[in-house]
Amino acid sequence: MNHLGALLLLAINTALINNMVFHFFVGNCPFIGVSRRIDTAFGMGCAVTFVTAVAAMLSWTCTYFILAPGAPLTTWAWRQFNPTSQAVVDLSILNYVVYIFLIAAAVQLVEMYVRKFFPALYKAFGVFLPLITTNCVILFVCLEIMKHVSGATGPLYWGPDEALVYAVFAGVGFLIAIVIMAGIRQELDHCDVPKPLRGAGITMIIAGILALAFMGFTGVDKGLEAMFGK
Amino acid sequence: MSEHMGHPDGPTPLERFLNGILPENPVYRQILGICPTLAVSNSMESAMTMAGAVAFVLVSSNLVVSLIRGLLKPHLRILVFTLTIATFVTVADRFLAAYMHEMSRKLGPYVPLIIVNCIIIARCEVCAAKQSVITAVADAIGQSLGFALAMATIATVRELLGFGTWFGLSVMPKAWPAWVVMILPPGAFITLGLLMGAVNWIGAARAGKSAGGGGEAKKA
Amino acid sequence: MSDKGGYIKQGWLVLVLAGCFGAALAAVHVGLGQRIESNKLGDTLGQVPKLVPGAVEGRSELLGGRTVYRAVDSSGRTVGWVLPVGGGGFADRIELLIGLDASAATITGLYVLEQKETPGLGNRIEEPAWRAQFTGRSAQRRLAVTKADKPGADEIQAVTGATISSRSVTDIVNDAVGRFRAELGASRQ
Repeated sequence: MNHLGALLLLAINTALINNMVFHFFVGNCPFIGVSRRIDTAFGMGCAVTFVTAVAAMLSWTCTYFILAPGAPLTTWAWRQFNPTSQAVVDLSILNYVVYIFLIAAAVQLVEMYVRKFFPALYKAFGVFLPLITTNCVILFVCLEIMKHVSGATGPLYWGPDEALVYAVFAGVGFLIAIVIMAGIRQELDHCDVPKPLRGAGITMIIAGILALAFMGFTGVDKGLEAMFGK
Repeated sequence: MSEHMGHPDGPTPLERFLNGILPENPVYRQILGICPTLAVSNSMESAMTMAGAVAFVLVSSNLVVSLIRGLLKPHLRILVFTLTIATFVTVADRFLAAYMHEMSRKLGPYVPLIIVNCIIIARCEVCAAKQSVITAVADAIGQSLGFALAMATIATVRELLGFGTWFGLSVMPKAWPAWVVMILPPGAFITLGLLMGAVNWIGAARAGKSAGGGGEAKKA
Repeated sequence: MSDKGGYIKQGWLVLVLAGCFGAALAAVHVGLGQRIESNKLGDTLGQVPKLVPGAVEGRSELLGGRTVYRAVDSSGRTVGWVLPVGGGGFADRIELLIGLDASAATITGLYVLEQKETPGLGNRIEEPAWRAQFTGRSAQRRLAVTKADKPGADEIQAVTGATISSRSVTDIVNDAVGRFRAELGASRQ
């Protein structure tokens, strides 16, 4: 299986089979909150995808060069003070703090970029853009990348290409989920939902049915791998 | 929503504490913190461990933020909240990895995800940044108990129906066919949805009895 | 955004907090680091006595670029090997520990470290009864998976309704054992 094929399988796996919302439960707050109309849902999905990609690249770089055990930059810096030391420099205790700052920085970057080049879009987003900082999807993606960079070797190791593919298609999976939900909820406006279930309740139940449907994708990547050969 | 009851600064610490458990329950009423609620609620053990971790982070963060509330500048306050929360989550995560290793593996990435758990940032913003230490801590403990209660209800349903056990102890008779879907994501979503509906229905029935009219109309 | 000077003036709190929290985290790392490491190792090394009869501890070694554990008894004599391996399962990656005897001719045990297979179906590969099928099998021939009631000498009966998970485990075992035997033979020449 060549590298491009492996990346393609990773993309399908992340977007459909291990979907962020329906398999990993991340990104639920905007999933419930922003899925009333298809256009806002689509915008939110695109924004999340973009921010996740930027944040993932930043966090891959930080993890690989600074935070991971034995990272090049920190080891080099340590050797300047202590040339004979053989200790493995491990800054991974700072992982979570650094990631959340990188995510906040990524959101700021994207916000500035959108405000400058797409002012109408910026107005449409309103308060949603800064809110993406608390979106679990992005931190989850960074943590997943950390797992595959910090102390990982061989087939478990992810280079920047795998990290980028993972991040983008995690966002795409979130986009698919939120747009499907928005489409269904727009139809729900014409239905008679029982009063106690209106709002979050019925959204969760529909999400459950969608999750059930997405479970049908399990094993697809293994089948594809078998079909197209190792 | 609880009323001020004449207290000039808003709800008293005791009221905040009680509010957090049911009237302003973070999961069922404020609809915050749904991610861990769904992810780790397939067994009581992991649910309670997660509730404990959230309680630790919430109380500690509220404490610290309340202590430094006089020094917070408006532009950077979210940054300060996030820094505080991230630090305490790292501590909780390391602690679990050291002393409850099995649990740490089961909870996996959901402990670090407490950092972006909306409950904690919301409580810091709404309460801890403006109130005294005692009020903030009481609020935090109340919200933590509310969260634990929500987790317990969902986990009980999912574990009983999905595994036939409760806290690992076999409860259901041998003939019970385990509803595997309860352990899987669809079961989580549907259970939460139905329980939310139940809580809303009970709340509406109570309000209807006391106000003699329409109950709370939830946003459609 | 407001004035730059304001940010610098206001930033001192963030810097002070960052310093304090950084120190606290460093303390946590120093305090708990050892315990966490030994926990992680305990997961794998703790299984060695159960996987290889007569072993009391496992020693980590490199063979062919991969980590393997040499199982030794109380006198330090090699009584077997434990291979930590992984591969793709039905749902996600499966991590295993395979126990072999000293000459790597027979499989002495199988332990599932990590799996995310379907609960109730695929995750039954963790059950001791199913894993016990691997004990005593020859490591010199590839094992096959069958659905028949009475599996043959080189056959593993699949978990009902989880053929792919069963096949995944067997494939991982076959590949790992074959590779290890080749490398062991090469290293002994």
